[in-house]
Amino acid sequence: MRPLRWAWIPVFPACLGLLLAAAFRLGWLPNEVVYLRADLGTLAGLAGLLLAFGFGMQWLWWSRKESNQQAFHNRIQLEAANERRGFLRRLDHELKNPLMAIRAGLANLNGTALAPDQHEVLVGLETQTVRLSNLLGDLRKLSDLETRPLDRSPVDIGNLLQEVVTETENRPEAAGRQISLILPQAPWPLPAVPGDRDLLFVMFHNLADNALKFTVPGNTIELRAFEDNPSVVVEVADTGQGIPDRDMPMVWEELFRGENARGTPGSGLGLALVKAIAERHRGQVFVRSRLGQGTVVTLRLPTR
Amino acid sequence: MIVKDNSPRLLLVDDETAITVNLAPFLERSGFAVRVADDGIQALELASQFHPDLIILDVLMPRMDGRQVLRRLRGSGDWTPVILLTQVGEAGERAMALEEGADDYINKPFDPLELVARIRSVLRRARPGQPPLAASRQLDSGRLILDRRAHRVVLDDQELSLTPKAVSLLEFLMTHPDELIKRERLLESVWGWDYPVGTRTVDTRIAELRRALGDDASKPTYIETVPGEGYRFIAKVEVRP
Repeated sequence: MRPLRWAWIPVFPACLGLLLAAAFRLGWLPNEVVYLRADLGTLAGLAGLLLAFGFGMQWLWWSRKESNQQAFHNRIQLEAANERRGFLRRLDHELKNPLMAIRAGLANLNGTALAPDQHEVLVGLETQTVRLSNLLGDLRKLSDLETRPLDRSPVDIGNLLQEVVTETENRPEAAGRQISLILPQAPWPLPAVPGDRDLLFVMFHNLADNALKFTVPGNTIELRAFEDNPSVVVEVADTGQGIPDRDMPMVWEELFRGENARGTPGSGLGLALVKAIAERHRGQVFVRSRLGQGTVVTLRLPTR
Repeated sequence: MIVKDNSPRLLLVDDETAITVNLAPFLERSGFAVRVADDGIQALELASQFHPDLIILDVLMPRMDGRQVLRRLRGSGDWTPVILLTQVGEAGERAMALEEGADDYINKPFDPLELVARIRSVLRRARPGQPPLAASRQLDSGRLILDRRAHRVVLDDQELSLTPKAVSLLEFLMTHPDELIKRERLLESVWGWDYPVGTRTVDTRIAELRRALGDDASKPTYIETVPGEGYRFIAKVEVRP
């Protein structure tokens, strides 16, 4: 309880007053009657000072309480996130054996003589089981990410983004989208970011991939980066369909799929992965979006 | 059953009967003679009676877990090839599996066909009664030496300066010589996950290795590219104990 640390300030004069009162009354000190006289100006000044002191203390106490509440809130959120990750880990673990049994069973069945329509059902079951396995794999990656050792060599973000853009442009899904990359050249190029190049690649790739998913031919996707000492800020912007306001608070959560995301392929883990990678690099992520106008995701990665 | 007398013999060890009851017939149909053990202790007993050519060993089991079984086997000088069925998807677990003398590992849930492919390749590279390449401390391939403990690569008595990832990649390729390794598998084994995008990452590291080894991609001595498939370490690899 941090406010208690400040409580001694009023307690000290109060104790001193009581002590003196006792000393005078008990006759340890000569308890003479005195008459105080003061002009109104002095009294008004004194009253003002006293009030200011009182309000100051009050304000101090409130601000302490507020920041305490903020810290408490943050701790609760962190605990909730940890709990969620722990739950996902257990889920992943508990689902492995049953899924394995299903896959083995299906493979076993596939070797027996089946009527064509039965075979069709089997293929469908296999596809769904593989899908489930992939989802499980993605969950594992996410929890793995929290604990895996991280490379911390300097990464040339410009070069990395160039690679992401080239890779994105070459994909069939990119047809008709205008993809551009804006990097600062003057007065100096982007500073390096200490980190795991492979993970950072996955992070930017996921964002570019999302931009592709939620745009249509004719739309624009823009990747841009600039220095904001001591960070590099990267933005991935698109003129796609945008995210509805009510979905915004949940976009970073595992397995969340927005209303507009239904009908597009994906596991609902892409952005959660982006956030986890950014946080492992002590970075931050933000998203701004306007329905029908597009979305911009901002990443801030410290350079030190 | 199409099991012939000369079919390779497998010992499948897993406490989940729901898995073994389906996996065993599947493996038999794939041309192996299969025996099943439900836990580690039974596995050790069967290993000494049945003399399998390969053991498929689940890691998490009651009574005695897969790693203990593996340690017992290796401790008694039994070098029967082992494929571990790993549960925990952590990189440390994988490294440990190989260090303790497993020949390969595969993460649950896996594609049963992939398991068959792994079994075949482990059987192909197995040298009866000898430690697997995966368990050796040093691998030699002509002028190239890989010290696995120190994570050092020496070419013509010159230590190469490589990124840790490149060394791990070379290590994986050298412990799987003459085997076509898909990019996805390299990502899963060396990077610790198989992210669909990252395949370019593999190519970047292969390029780094080739530069350091002075290997020409069009006329390779060490690493061959199989277009559209993956990579293969084509030089002969020997073990220095």
